[in-house]
Amino acid sequence: MGRRLPQIFFLLSLLALGLLLAALWQASTPGWKDYQHAFFQLEAQGEPNAVTKAAVLATPPEIHQIMLPGLQRVDRCTTCHLGVDDPTMKNAPEPFRYHQGLGPHVASKFGCTICHGGQGLATTVKDAHGDVQFWETPLLAREYIRASCGRCHKEGDVPGVPELTEGRQLFEANGCHGCHKLNGVGGSIGPDLSEEGASHRSPEWLLHHFLAPSQVSPGSVMPNYHFTPQQARSLTYYMLSLTNQDMGTYYSSLRLIPSAAFGRELFVEKNCIACHSIGGVGAKAGPDLLGVTKRHSLEWLDEQLVNPDQVYPGSSMPQYDLETNQRKALVAFMEAATTLDAQAILEHREHLLTPEDAAIEAGKRDFARFGCAGCHGTELQGGLPNPNAQGGQVPSLLHLADDYTKEEVLAVVRDGRTPPLDNAKGQAPPLYMPAWKQVLSDEDIHQLVEFLWSRQKKAKDSW
Amino acid sequence: MKLLNEIWRSIVRRDPLSTDKGKSELVFLNVWLHIHPAKVKKEHMKFRHTYYLGFITFFLFLILVTTGIALMCYYRPYPSQAYQDMKDLQFVVFLGPFLRGMHRWAAHGMVICVFLHMCRVFYTASYKKPRQFNWVVGVVLLLLTLGLSFTGYLLPWDQLAYWAITVGTNIGSYAPMVGGQLRELLLGGHSVGEGALIRFYVLHVAVLPAAMILLTIVHFWRVRKDGGLSRPIWTLKRKPAEQLVTIGAPAAVEPLRTVPASSSKTYGLMEVVTGEPIFETISPEEEDDAVFAYPFAFFREGLALMVTVTTVMAVSLLFRAPLEEMANPARTPNPAKAPWYFLGLQELVSHSALLGGVVAPTVMVLALLAIPYIDRNLSRRPGDRKWAIWLFTGFAIVNLVLIIIGTFFRGPGWAFVPPWVHVVPGAE
Repeated sequence: MGRRLPQIFFLLSLLALGLLLAALWQASTPGWKDYQHAFFQLEAQGEPNAVTKAAVLATPPEIHQIMLPGLQRVDRCTTCHLGVDDPTMKNAPEPFRYHQGLGPHVASKFGCTICHGGQGLATTVKDAHGDVQFWETPLLAREYIRASCGRCHKEGDVPGVPELTEGRQLFEANGCHGCHKLNGVGGSIGPDLSEEGASHRSPEWLLHHFLAPSQVSPGSVMPNYHFTPQQARSLTYYMLSLTNQDMGTYYSSLRLIPSAAFGRELFVEKNCIACHSIGGVGAKAGPDLLGVTKRHSLEWLDEQLVNPDQVYPGSSMPQYDLETNQRKALVAFMEAATTLDAQAILEHREHLLTPEDAAIEAGKRDFARFGCAGCHGTELQGGLPNPNAQGGQVPSLLHLADDYTKEEVLAVVRDGRTPPLDNAKGQAPPLYMPAWKQVLSDEDIHQLVEFLWSRQKKAKDSW
Repeated sequence: MKLLNEIWRSIVRRDPLSTDKGKSELVFLNVWLHIHPAKVKKEHMKFRHTYYLGFITFFLFLILVTTGIALMCYYRPYPSQAYQDMKDLQFVVFLGPFLRGMHRWAAHGMVICVFLHMCRVFYTASYKKPRQFNWVVGVVLLLLTLGLSFTGYLLPWDQLAYWAITVGTNIGSYAPMVGGQLRELLLGGHSVGEGALIRFYVLHVAVLPAAMILLTIVHFWRVRKDGGLSRPIWTLKRKPAEQLVTIGAPAAVEPLRTVPASSSKTYGLMEVVTGEPIFETISPEEEDDAVFAYPFAFFREGLALMVTVTTVMAVSLLFRAPLEEMANPARTPNPAKAPWYFLGLQELVSHSALLGGVVAPTVMVLALLAIPYIDRNLSRRPGDRKWAIWLFTGFAIVNLVLIIIGTFFRGPGWAFVPPWVHVVPGAE
């Protein structure tokens, strides 16, 4: 025995090395690499040029993932489903096929599991499709995927998913709240349904349960409501859509969907209420917006938001650089807006709306548009070095009201001026206030001054 | 070439291993190896006596430290991240499942091997004078191992972890007066939450390993000072029991002999002491049995190391470490079970909270600690200590049976359900 020890030790070391190699081999040949390789070959087929073909084939394999930080989700489905966002992959075989009909719900921003279920974190077929123990939401069967629309679209009719509407109505009409709690409201005889969509119940279980509760769940006190199969299906849809997570808000915050909620945010952000009113509530400088979508076509409204001056010559509405879906969102909001919205917006303003607000808003636009901020700063703080000017820098505009009247400031903007010199014999300072009378109308300048006055710091605040 | 040779000689300063001097120098010129004696007696290495369980436990600990450090690079001890990090280890991190598997299986293995090692030490009566206190150190090491396993159990933050720790800490809270407060101190709150996770993490990666390493050093040092690894000397020396007092502390027969200084030996600066040593020494007649630690002992240890490593690697390749759903405080699994090594206690708690939560664990730990001081029998011969062996075997079997019942025979509501009966879950 003693003599053979070194040999046995050597053999065991070889075995350990072999096991390590096996582990390395196992780790470096995951199934998703095969899928990526197949995808690159598919892509390379379409490349006419041999060089690009080789480049495509040589793409290093890597894990793709869609991060949804607001929902604490990471979807790695696109590691294999590489063609989801690529329309040229319309006729490709699965798992590479392009996902048609997503509309604004682009996969790269919305992820996959949010609608389809499954385990987004996983990178093997079985695990990813959630067909494993300890993963509660396996891939939804094709016919139930549309139920997921209700996770964000929690109210109203969801286009293409009448089941959701019917399910919600049935839930209300049959008084399900009496026994089941939903988002904090309801009885506690039956289980809380607020998170039912994320629970381990399969659609088949739910469906059978609605048709014959006591069959699926022995001893259940839930009565049989004798739903028709269609009704049971609708209720199943509704159950699958139930979640506590505020997904709609998260996706709205991505600002991808031109929803009315996003439009409302923009309406507040751009301070539209400073000029416009809704149903008489708000400022009167611009037209009232109640029913504006009925008075004008969608195209007209869209164009007006791009370039107010061209659609409505002489319009004093400033140009806002709005993207397409932002304009759509604003229109969606205007379509739905009521006086209640206007009141709510007014209540949440920092200060009360005054007749000057329209002027201030326009002045603010002009201040940014004509580059005043370039010298005076975005916060009117001044401070840009200006050698030999009094104080050695461009003055702050935050304390104008202490030294000047509005008329004096109007005159300075209109006619311009050279700053008073620090050293009378020195060179003229490089920066000076240009005259704006050729560029801006008296009304524009008046608005600018109103804007400046709205930002004045009181003497006591300056400390 | 000459330079290379010089560099090599500067690193390895011993004589060639073909010489006896080289073999000795390999041991005592090397800081890591010199816990070994240069020469060991053959019966120290007898596999059928120690089964190398202490070594295996130590090697498992080394595996745990290595894989644990690697895992720390991927782990954030915060509820929402911890579980995702587990999933990332499983699906994205290179070698992640293998690393996690090795850590998990080695941890279970260590709990088992520590227990088996303790049994071996008991059955060979290796805790007797002068080794009484080293047994106590060993019991503390056993508790530290359980503590490390228990704190590590929570870190994946899945249902298994969450409820095992909830149940486990509940068992502890039955202790009168201080139980509830201890639980709160450990959890950093009234229930398992983010406070508990960070506390368990700190205990798992810093406090307990540090204590473990320090006490392991003490444990090893004392083994060496007490005369080396346990060996079955009662079979070698056919002498009356009272002369075989301990593992080899010299019977008070002959005084220490003095040997005249020899010119063929080098002497370091040492104090010359008189009187009996407290530890075991090699008697002249045993000198013939001794062999050099290299290669005999080292290759055997190496063999134990390789067997341990390959076993853990093979198991990790074949079996993935479990990971259940993310921890959900609102959904209690039925039944919620503590980690398996506490299931004996949980089984007792199901009958009497006071018994399982307070009396049994306290008595067990105190009894284990006191064994070397209660057992006044000087003989190590199995035939002379039937009572001790029966008692200890009874204790081990009761523990084992309770753990087996708790693990395999308890279903929903802690009802008795044999493992071959399938309970349909989710019937509400």
